[in-house]
Amino acid sequence: MRSVLQTLSDWLAAGGHSIGQIHIAAQGAAFQLTHHADRERTDLAARTGVEAARELAHYDDAGKFRPLKTAPNLRHGWRLSVADLPELRRALDYFYPAMLGVWLSHQRGELLPVPLRATLARQTGMYRVTQLITDEQAQEMIGTQCRLDGGCLKRILWPLAPDVPLSSLSAEKLDPTAPAGTLPLLCHEACNLLVAKAREVVKKAQQQQQ
Amino acid sequence: MIAKPHSALILVGHGSTVNPDSSAPTFDHAAEITRRGLFAEVHCAFWKEEPSLRQVLHMVDAEEIYIVPNFISEGYFTRTVIPRELELTGPVTERDGRVIKYCEPVGSHARMTELLVHRAAAVAPGVPPEKSTLFIVGHGTNLNDNSAIAAKREVELIAAQGRYAEVRNAYMEEEPLISKWDEYSTQPNVVVVPFFIADGLHSYEDIPVLLGIAEESPGAASANASGVFANNPYDRRGRTLFYASAIGTEPLFADLVLEQVAAFDAAHAVPA
Repeated sequence: MRSVLQTLSDWLAAGGHSIGQIHIAAQGAAFQLTHHADRERTDLAARTGVEAARELAHYDDAGKFRPLKTAPNLRHGWRLSVADLPELRRALDYFYPAMLGVWLSHQRGELLPVPLRATLARQTGMYRVTQLITDEQAQEMIGTQCRLDGGCLKRILWPLAPDVPLSSLSAEKLDPTAPAGTLPLLCHEACNLLVAKAREVVKKAQQQQQ
Repeated sequence: MIAKPHSALILVGHGSTVNPDSSAPTFDHAAEITRRGLFAEVHCAFWKEEPSLRQVLHMVDAEEIYIVPNFISEGYFTRTVIPRELELTGPVTERDGRVIKYCEPVGSHARMTELLVHRAAAVAPGVPPEKSTLFIVGHGTNLNDNSAIAAKREVELIAAQGRYAEVRNAYMEEEPLISKWDEYSTQPNVVVVPFFIADGLHSYEDIPVLLGIAEESPGAASANASGVFANNPYDRRGRTLFYASAIGTEPLFADLVLEQVAAFDAAHAVPA
C-alpha cells in the first residue's frame, strides 16, 4: 500500500535531512526547518505550525510572490517548528508541493514522464497555440526557464518528444538521483509556467513574422 | 456532518502566477477541512500554481478520491480543463485501483444563496434589509457567461425570499454597470457583494473604483486590500454603502465543499 507518510518516515530514519533549499532537523517527535544557508545563524525568526509554511513558501526575500515553489529563491531568516511527522509532511507539501508523493511514485515505478509535445498537444483554449513552437525554440526556452541556476531545482524526466531528448540543459539537471540525505525534486511533466512561456515564445515569433 | 476517514479530498482552484490571493481561499478551506479531521487526506491542486493537476494524484494514498472544484460556477475549467488534466472519464473514474469521484463546483451548490445573504448581513450589521438594496457583482464578459448566469440565479433566489427591499445584478463591464449603482437602487442602504471565488484586482481595486470608494493605485492593487474592506460604511452619492470581500473568501465555503461531496454520494448512490 502507498504511504507518503511512511516514505517520509523511512527517508528520515535513513538519515534524510535535505529537500530543495530546506534543511530538516529532528527534535524528539518534532522537527525544525530552516533555509539551508541559515543553518548556522542564531538570529532567525521563530515560526510555528504548518500554516506558517504556506506564507514562508509564498514569498521570496524581496516579498515577491513565488509561483514556482522549486525556484531557487526560498526566503531566508526563519526557523519553523512543526509538532510531528504528519505536520512535517504538510509543511513540506507547502514548501515543495507534491514532491514527496512524486518521489514515492517514482520509486514505485508509477511515475510516467510526459514528453513536452504530448503536454502541448493536450492544450485547449488560449494555450492551443503552443503546439506551434518549433523544437529549436522549445530547446532554447527550456534551457533558459528550467536551468538549475536561477530557474528551477527540479530534475527533468521528460523528453521534448519520445525520440527527441532535451539538449539545452546540464547533465545534472536531467539526473534524477540525489546526494545522500537529499530528497530529489522530480519533474515528470512540463509545468503550466513553461506552457505559458511557450505561448509567449510562439506569439512573439508570430508578431515578428508579420 | 459527512465523514470519510478512508477517502481523500482534493480541492481544485484556478490559482495565479502573479497574485497569491487567488489560491488563498482554496488553501484556507482545505486547511479548515483538514482541521475537522473528516477525511484521511485533504489536498489542493491548481491550474496555475502548485501542486498542479498533473502532480496532485501522486500526493494521495487513499483509494477513494473526491475532487471538488472551488469554482463559482460550471464552465470551461470544470467541464474541460480539470477532467482533461486529471484524465477523468466521467463523474466516476476507475483507474489503477483507485476510484475518482468528480463533484460539482462549490458555487453551484444550493446553499450559495444562504452564504450570499449571510455575507451581506455580516458586512452591514444591524442594517435593516427592508431598507437596503443588495448588489451581487459579477464580471460580465462572454468568457464568464456561466458565472453571470449563476449570479442572476442567485439574485432571483434572494429576491424571492423578500427580505431585501431590492436585489440586483450588476457587472463590471456590462449593463447594468456597477458604476451606476446609485441609479439602480432606491434604498438608503446599499450592500455590495462580489460574486468571485477569490479576492484580487477586481475586488481590491476595480469594483471599489467603480463604486467610488477607492482611487486607482499606481502600484500593486493589493495595497488597497487592507483598507477597502475595513472602512465600511461609505457615505457616497447620498447613500450608506457597505462593501464585502469576494464571496469565495467566506469561511462557510468549507461547508459547501463538504456538501458537494455529500451531494455527489446522494446522486451516485448504488441502490441496495
